[in-house]
Formats: sequence, C-alpha cells, structure tokens
Amino acid sequence: MNESVVTGSNGASINETLARLVEKTEALTALLISRHGICLGQAGGGARLNATALAALVAGMFSATKEVANIVGEEQFSILLQQGKKRHIHISLIGEKSMMVIVFEEYSRIGRVRLEAKKCSSTLVRLVNQDRKDQEQAIQDISIPDFKEYALNLIDRIFVIGEEEDASP
Amino acid sequence: MPHLDLNNRQLVFKIVYFGPGMSGKTTNLLFIHKKIFDKYKGDMVILDTEEERTLFFDFFPVSLGTVQGFSLKIHLYTIPGQVFYEASRRIILEGADGVVFVADSCIERFDDNVDMYRRMTTNLGSYGVDPTSFPIVLQYNKRDYDEVIPLGQLEAILELPDDLPVTESIATSGKGVMRTLQLISKEVIRNFQLDGSA
Repeated sequence: MNESVVTGSNGASINETLARLVEKTEALTALLISRHGICLGQAGGGARLNATALAALVAGMFSATKEVANIVGEEQFSILLQQGKKRHIHISLIGEKSMMVIVFEEYSRIGRVRLEAKKCSSTLVRLVNQDRKDQEQAIQDISIPDFKEYALNLIDRIFVIGEEEDASP
Repeated sequence: MPHLDLNNRQLVFKIVYFGPGMSGKTTNLLFIHKKIFDKYKGDMVILDTEEERTLFFDFFPVSLGTVQGFSLKIHLYTIPGQVFYEASRRIILEGADGVVFVADSCIERFDDNVDMYRRMTTNLGSYGVDPTSFPIVLQYNKRDYDEVIPLGQLEAILELPDDLPVTESIATSGKGVMRTLQLISKEVIRNFQLDGSA
C-alpha cells in the first residue's frame, strides 16, 4: 500500500526532530506513534520497515505493558527495551498519548539512544500538542456532507460484494 | 473519533471485530484481505497461538483513497475471543470507531454470545462510549449449522435497538462478509458526519 508523505503543519518539525535524533544516535530509524497505533512521524531508513504494522503492534505492546505495570503496582513503565541479536528497539512514552520507537543496531549505543530520546522528548510533546490543536481546526475545515458522499462511494467501490453472496448454506 | 494525521494528511478509522472465541472473527478478516485488491490493502498481521487461536489481535489497514485532500484509511482489528484475554480486548477496543459483533449461530453458544456482548458494552463504557449511539453491526455467523439461533433472539435478550444493523454470514465461504464490512464502514462514516465536530 502506498503511503504518500505530505508535509503539513508540524509534520516537518516532528520529522526533523526525529531526523536529528537518528543522526546523533546513528540509529536505523525513529518513529513517533500514537497510542492508538498510528504512525505520526518517521525518519531514517524506515522505508524498509512496515511502519503501519509496526505502529499497531508497538501500540498494542505498550498498552499490554501498562496492564502489566498495573498488576505489579506501577502506573506505567515509561521505557521499553527489546534486545535482539543484531537489532534493538527502544520505546519511550512521549506525553500521555504518543510513543517514540528507535531502532538501532550497535547495542553499545544504548546510552546515547536513551540520552537523546530523553533530550528530544519535551520538544516532541510540544509538537504533538500543537499538532492536536491544528487537527481540531482541520477537522472543522472538512466539509462533512461532501466527505460523506465521497467516502460512501469509495466504500461501495472497494468493499465489493461478489458472487460469494450467492453461496448456499 | 477517527485519527486525523496532518503529517501524512490521513484520516484513519478503526473497526474492531468482536465476539466469543471461535465465532469467526479472524476468518472474516482473512476473507476480506483476500477479497480486496492489493493496491488498497497492507499486509495482514496475525498474532496467534500454536493452536491458531488469536493471542493478541489480527490487523490490516485498508486505504480507500483521497477525500478532500486526506487519505482515508480503515484499520481492521480482531480481538482474542477467549474469556481470559479480557485485558487484551479492552486495549484493542480503545479508540475504535465501530464494532462488528461476530456471533456464533450455534445454539449451544447462545450464552457465550450474550456474555461477550455484555463484556463489549462494559469495555466501551469504560472509555466513555455509549454503546446505544455507537456504530455496531451484529453479524450472525456460521449460518450453515443445522440448527441456528433464530434472528432476533440475541437482540431481544440484550435489549438492542430495533434499528441495529444485523447480517447473516458464513465466513468460511465469504457469504455475508463483505456486506457486513460495507455496513459497518458506512455506519462509521455516517456517525463521523453526525459527530462532525468530534
């Protein structure tokens, strides 16, 4: 599936912030993901990763970890670290509704990754909050009747009801 | 409300297939994934156990096209139906814009359907969602059984609204699957429209 990236509002700033982090940590890629599993920004060589699936999985993983935290008497674990043979993932909470995923290779860089992740956290929180305000405005600008008509047409065209409807029980 | 992503100019709706274990939620998604043209869909993620029971969730994204400059997407999820995965179900239901409740038409599963529907409304309520004004489609699946739960019985015991969309399906053959998907997608879009300021 093609996912065209058009820069808008704070998108460039989020991506720029992630790009600087990738450069400083020499990570493979960094992504900003909403708690609901949507990729909000990306930098580095992430084009080779399935960012959509990664975002859904990481969001689910983080939510599950929150439940684990509650069971052991913690409100939330703010950092998750997954160590592999070649690649590792550092996940950190960005405010209450987003998280940052950093994929890197040399495990000895973990200190640098943690430091830079912490340093850019407040910037990302600010950008995400600003984005939310812009989004509320953007939603107001959508013409709801037109949106409905186009969207319903697309659903009819793509979710095609076919010959399987005639299959007898 | 859907997720509006200005960075990627996309509007993402989340639809969750909910229901008791083995009612056919993953089978629904597998058929949909097979049926939709490649250019509209992303890879399917399946997290299951060795017995092919859903462990956490199944997921795939559908890209419908561009509406008013926004790429319109629908993310389809299933939940694990086994009773002990309550925490997982609650997590996946968060942020949903609509639900397909996949009921098992087998008469012996009547109570399981009722129990799971009530769990679903409780979970929705925990996120501040009123299930009576939320897009839900009730799908009676496995209509190829010899003896099936008659239409209307689940609605009656659960005191569901008269206008709740109901479908019949045999997900293994695909019968009723795309019709259900169309219905819930349209319900979600209409709800967004009515709730336009959301």
